[in-house]
Amino acid sequence: MKKIAFALVLGISVFFAACETSDINPNDKNSVSLYFENLVGTDPIVLNTKTYTNASGEDFTISTFNYFVSNISLKATDGTELKFADKYFLVKESVEASKTITLPDVPAGDYTSVSFMVGVDSAKSVSDVSQRTGVLDPASYGTDNMYWSWNSGYIFFKMEGTSSKSAAANKGYKFHIGGFGGMSAKTANNLRSVTLTMADLAKVRKNIAPEIHLAIDAQKVFKSTLKIADKNEIMNPTLGTAVANNYKDMFAVEHVHNDKM
Amino acid sequence: MKLKLGIVLVVSLLLWGCSKEKATEPDPLLVLFEKPSTFPNTSYKMESNPITEDGFLLGKKIFFDGKLSRDGTISCAECHNQPYAFTHHGHAQSHGIDGQVGPRNAPALQNLAWGKTFFWDGGVFDLDLFSLAPIENPVEMDERIGNVLQKLRKDASYPPMFKKAFGTEEVTTERFLKSLSQFMLTLVSANAKYDQYKAGKASFNTDEKAGLTLFNEKGCASCHPEPLFTDESFRSNGLPTDFFRNFVDTGRYRITELKEDKYKFKVPSLRNIEYTFPYMHDGRFISLEDVLDHYTDGNMANLETLDPIFKQNTKRGIALTSKEKSQIIAFLKTLTDDSFLKDKRFAP
Repeated sequence: MKKIAFALVLGISVFFAACETSDINPNDKNSVSLYFENLVGTDPIVLNTKTYTNASGEDFTISTFNYFVSNISLKATDGTELKFADKYFLVKESVEASKTITLPDVPAGDYTSVSFMVGVDSAKSVSDVSQRTGVLDPASYGTDNMYWSWNSGYIFFKMEGTSSKSAAANKGYKFHIGGFGGMSAKTANNLRSVTLTMADLAKVRKNIAPEIHLAIDAQKVFKSTLKIADKNEIMNPTLGTAVANNYKDMFAVEHVHNDKM
Repeated sequence: MKLKLGIVLVVSLLLWGCSKEKATEPDPLLVLFEKPSTFPNTSYKMESNPITEDGFLLGKKIFFDGKLSRDGTISCAECHNQPYAFTHHGHAQSHGIDGQVGPRNAPALQNLAWGKTFFWDGGVFDLDLFSLAPIENPVEMDERIGNVLQKLRKDASYPPMFKKAFGTEEVTTERFLKSLSQFMLTLVSANAKYDQYKAGKASFNTDEKAGLTLFNEKGCASCHPEPLFTDESFRSNGLPTDFFRNFVDTGRYRITELKEDKYKFKVPSLRNIEYTFPYMHDGRFISLEDVLDHYTDGNMANLETLDPIFKQNTKRGIALTSKEKSQIIAFLKTLTDDSFLKDKRFAP
């Protein structure tokens, strides 16, 4: 009896194992999407009207919450890395559609981690104007500017709002973080890379286009000693380094949807 | 098959014949940019933006168009007047929109193809990216580049010009900026009396000759080397930092945030210096005499970043007699290039 049961379990295991491998056809492709849900703590950001409290006990609102995402890569369980070169995204809390990034033509497989850069890499930051299209086109920003024209470079991360603790007359605070390391002189480099391991694998199949749901906690921007009372305007790269060191830790994978289409 | 080859060959020969003809007999209107034989290779990647007559004409129209500013009043030419080597004549600091005044003196626009960085602080490293800054500066044009492109799209005269220059009527950031660059790149000044003297086509009088010798011997040429008369570096020439009551201009430091760059500014070219007054990044000196007085009177501020060349004598600065100063000024005036200042191709 024991032997039969063992054989049965073995047989079933082998059957499933065969299933597992055989359902990954390396010729199949599908898309993977990343959804960036911006939160304060665990609650979705409500722009302008909701007041939050940061780690230093300061009240704050958020009117703008934007950041660039680039150099995305996916790592498969077999260690291979899939890079999405020359793709740049601008996530804006105020524009729902901007929060979903779709990566097309991902080969079928199990993916275990996702990496990306927060910002616009230095090569792109010094590239010819012909390379600056889409979200990199300075004409695309309107009044919500993401480019420093007087000190050529993109604003990688922008967070603005108000706080009663701000020393500014209008009680505003502005964090504009940029700085790719400089063209000729070596200057502050606030490019940050983020790698997030996924507890649930992203299983790309012919009939599965996984959605990786990221939770971005804006509260993390204020961790350590960043106080609005001390500095309500951070717009130069050297001061921005402390902010970049904070916000690189605000990204986490919440869960992965592997729903069949 | 043979017929096809024959046609291709004939067409090739025809085209080759055409281009050869162009090369040997250039239409004077079409030669918009030529590297002067005495100049080094350009810093600008000329092949990334070939200058054409249509691109140049579009860039010129944009250069003189007030639509670049929020209220339509300020064009590039407002602060960059050709007769003064494209500087803001008579303005220490440039006036922009609503009569606002910025902290800096509008630099000359000349020989920009050899510029490695732009602005007094070198904040922009690519001529193509330059024009975004004055357009978006709240005290200059106070406009958004996206709005500017919208205004040009709605102006009936622009789309056809974009088509002529770039093949379609589409008005894009790249085309806008590259046509402006095409116009600015053609602003080459290399035909001053000095250039003719070097080529053996003009002679210097005694003072001009003595001035040239002094210019080299006294170290002026170490930062202002010929033929561009700038080495494109950032240096402090000891200007007292209390010129503005409420504002200290830290120059290059504003860009790099490196201590060693405090109070350093881009070494300007001395070409057409006779007409680019007032002088220095903030226009604090009215005349060349004032400038040379600053270099010789020992009144330089003892800044930690003061250029070592000014620390060689007991008195800070450069030792010059008043006669030597007037000779140096006589030489500097040989850098005036009338053919550039009056070149009709650059007029609206």
